[in-house]
Amino acid sequence: MSRTTRLVLILTLLLGILLLAACGTSQPATQEKPTEMPAATEAPAQQPTEAPAATEAPAATEASAPTEAPAKPAEPKTIIYGLYQEPDVLNPFIATQYAADEVSKMVVEGLVDVDPDGNFYPVLAKEVPTIENGLVSEDGLNVTYHLKEGILWSDGEPFTCEDVKYTWEIITTPESGAVNTAGYDKIESVECPDPNTVQIKFKEFYAPYLTLFDSVLPKHATEGSTDMTTWDYNTTGLLGTGPFVLKEWVSGDHITLVKNKNYRDYPDKPKVDQIIVRIIPSREVGKALITSGEIDILWDLTEADVPEFEENPDVIVHKRPGPGTERLLLNLADPTLDATDDPLNHPHPLLADLRVRQAIQYGIDKQLIVDELLYGATTVGTSELSIGWAKCDIPPSEFNPDKARELLDEAGFVDQDGDGIRECHGCKYAEEGTPLRLKIQTTSGNQLREECEQLLVEMMKDIGIEFYIENVPSSELFGSWASGAFRKHGHFDILMYTTSDKIDPQSHMYGYFHKNSIPTEANNGKGFNYVRWINDRASEALDKAGATPNLEERKAQYQIACEEIAKDIPHLYLYDRSEIELTRANIKGFKVNPWGRQTWNVEDWDKE
Amino acid sequence: MVNYILRRLVYSIPLLILISVIVFFLISLAPGGPMAAFEENPNLTPEDIVRLEEEFGLNQHIYVRYWKWASRIIVGDWGYSNVTHKPVLQEIGERLPNTLQLMIVAFTITLLIAIPIGLYSALHQYSLFDHLATFLAFVGQAIPIFWFGLILIIVFNVWLNNPISPSHGFAWSHFTHCLDCKPLLPGGGMAPYGVDNPTLGQRIQHMILPVTMLAMFGMGTYTRYMRGQTLEVIYQDYIRTARAKGLSERLVVMRHAFKNALAPVVTIIALDLPGLFGGALFTETIFSWPGMGRLFYRSAQRGDYPLLMGIVMINAVLIIFFNLMADISYAYLDPRIRYD
Repeated sequence: MSRTTRLVLILTLLLGILLLAACGTSQPATQEKPTEMPAATEAPAQQPTEAPAATEAPAATEASAPTEAPAKPAEPKTIIYGLYQEPDVLNPFIATQYAADEVSKMVVEGLVDVDPDGNFYPVLAKEVPTIENGLVSEDGLNVTYHLKEGILWSDGEPFTCEDVKYTWEIITTPESGAVNTAGYDKIESVECPDPNTVQIKFKEFYAPYLTLFDSVLPKHATEGSTDMTTWDYNTTGLLGTGPFVLKEWVSGDHITLVKNKNYRDYPDKPKVDQIIVRIIPSREVGKALITSGEIDILWDLTEADVPEFEENPDVIVHKRPGPGTERLLLNLADPTLDATDDPLNHPHPLLADLRVRQAIQYGIDKQLIVDELLYGATTVGTSELSIGWAKCDIPPSEFNPDKARELLDEAGFVDQDGDGIRECHGCKYAEEGTPLRLKIQTTSGNQLREECEQLLVEMMKDIGIEFYIENVPSSELFGSWASGAFRKHGHFDILMYTTSDKIDPQSHMYGYFHKNSIPTEANNGKGFNYVRWINDRASEALDKAGATPNLEERKAQYQIACEEIAKDIPHLYLYDRSEIELTRANIKGFKVNPWGRQTWNVEDWDKE
Repeated sequence: MVNYILRRLVYSIPLLILISVIVFFLISLAPGGPMAAFEENPNLTPEDIVRLEEEFGLNQHIYVRYWKWASRIIVGDWGYSNVTHKPVLQEIGERLPNTLQLMIVAFTITLLIAIPIGLYSALHQYSLFDHLATFLAFVGQAIPIFWFGLILIIVFNVWLNNPISPSHGFAWSHFTHCLDCKPLLPGGGMAPYGVDNPTLGQRIQHMILPVTMLAMFGMGTYTRYMRGQTLEVIYQDYIRTARAKGLSERLVVMRHAFKNALAPVVTIIALDLPGLFGGALFTETIFSWPGMGRLFYRSAQRGDYPLLMGIVMINAVLIIFFNLMADISYAYLDPRIRYD
């Protein structure tokens, strides 16, 4: 029996050692980060600013440690921002998540940015270049930026045209690993006649030219390695000209940003001492934490999250219509074929007939979906471009089940066997007797979408169409061409999801609706025209819209494209999405920006 | 015995290889793939995606990829995460201490409570206490653990305020709507945010809810094990003999019944130990605890196969190791068992 005791003893000891090890390592774990920071050795110039930043921080912490003492004024003014997604990397040219931009935008600035109304405003540039102020040539090929004087990087180095030039050079270097390079490859040269003037020459006209250089990289701190993915800059070494400086990143937990002493408006702005980005597991938990006041701002909610906060005086709901629209994608090509490039000769047996698509639209009570599922908090979907300068003017579709039935009868879909589902009797493309049965797919685990599907199934049943649901995880739905994702390869009937146009709609509109954007074997899966819609008038309009710097002309061309979409219904718009954030009532200066990151004006955020 | 241990260690090598092959191929079979995250980004051109696939080596055949991974791992190179580009061991190293801190405390507390309860229940079989303990054990097993976690947050973080701190006067619940009220217990994280050197007290406060959640779940199992084992033992002849010898009831229970009942439970504990390193996905998720479970989940979601393989292989090694430990402990606890 003494053996038993010995073993129990050994096991207890082992447990104890593990416990000690855990406690022992957890202590330095928090200490570890600061030591990692100076490891950004490529930037020796960083040291001087590190020092003043560091001197303030201990002063603040010493005061905050004995919190019981009435040393309140020394406590740093902190806003806690809850994100339910943790950024992988913060380098804006590598990052692929919206959450990453939310964080990096507090540190990294660009030449110009977009305000909530969809207008460009100068950030590091003195003014937004246009044809009117002579900074853009008539053909749109030459763009000049005058930079604000006296701007410093947060480490004290001056910001100049060389940094802009370097940004372009590094991200167009093939081995850099940069991913957000669209448009930069259209640039022929970036010249620096003097440190505060940037002259950009394009090889060919690039309509969204103002969206380029929305982030500028610090040449002095990142020069050396052309492989961006290995930079310290991506995580703890992030360096910019913006109002905040990255101080600490505890993986899976939080990211601390403190104010930048070299910011151009310092000490007036930023108004708070630090922003802590707290990684929360889900919106649900985030909602509980903002109710209890543990976080001050909660990012990215849905319309269905809003009602419970309308009665709560401690929390303010910030809501604004966004560019996203939830839609159905109706496949026009034969779904049994792999990525066909000839949808006209290989039509979808049921959906290729325009009357069927029209009937589906007439059969959907979009207002009911908005009222029942979204608490009336948004509008019914009408077009791809629902807000912004290029907004399309398309009237909402009519809800008219009788007309839907009429169209289906006319198209040769009649229910003869009496099971409530119409089948083909003399229809255009399908075999005789094929039931009007369509698969609808969306991302699984999304309650709003699943409820919406239920409503759609009911509505379709009413006009004699059967929708059956087969949802998949979002990684599967949005998978890549190489992984054989069914969306890219065209193996679907109907998909439901949201996509958003950007402030400049060209790449989005071209990618989704131009006839050259159909992903096929030949173009290696390029483009997002998954429904394989071929419409010459729309394609021509999109070509024209992308070829002129004249905004009025471009707007007119997008209107043509939108009208063709409304007529042909390759996408059926269900409802517009809103950009929704929550803040505690004592947070001031927060302004929802549907065009990008909510931290766009973080320097104005304040806490009372 | 030494022979046996050596033999087991040698056997574990082909086992580990087999595990790595199966897991590697399963990961690549999963739909979506590592590029799914990039695909939705409108800023990415298809050329970018092709280039990234080349960079990650995804355009190569799976056998080639496995071979590359395996030949690196042999020399101790665990590779880099596809997603964060950080070394795999660094990613794991950042999370493992957090997980161990939470899991070991929770596990110890679970055992300290569950084993006495199980023992007492068995000795007073069918008493009110026994029925209550049995009932609670089943409740602990039956309620969905994530639901229980959310309820804990709603009650202790949202509904209840800390009545000491507010300038507002006495305000127990959030229904009084005071902006400067502090919640009774933190609803997540390892330490208060914005505090550079959290005190031990603050750390403990942050552990209360997640530990409660884990203990609630684990307690049921161990209570039932301990109760069952004790019941089996106390009707044995040697217990009767001990009583007949005239030993006091305390000695009979502690020296003869408890020790013998504990032996199989210790083995089960040894088998549960590797789980401590894996973390608890639900608990970590609900309480924003930056541990291994969430790291594993994230890497699975993002198709980050170098990191995923790293975590799986470490777990496989731990499971094999603790299984061996359990088998050895059998031999120690029960002299009738011999491994030759």
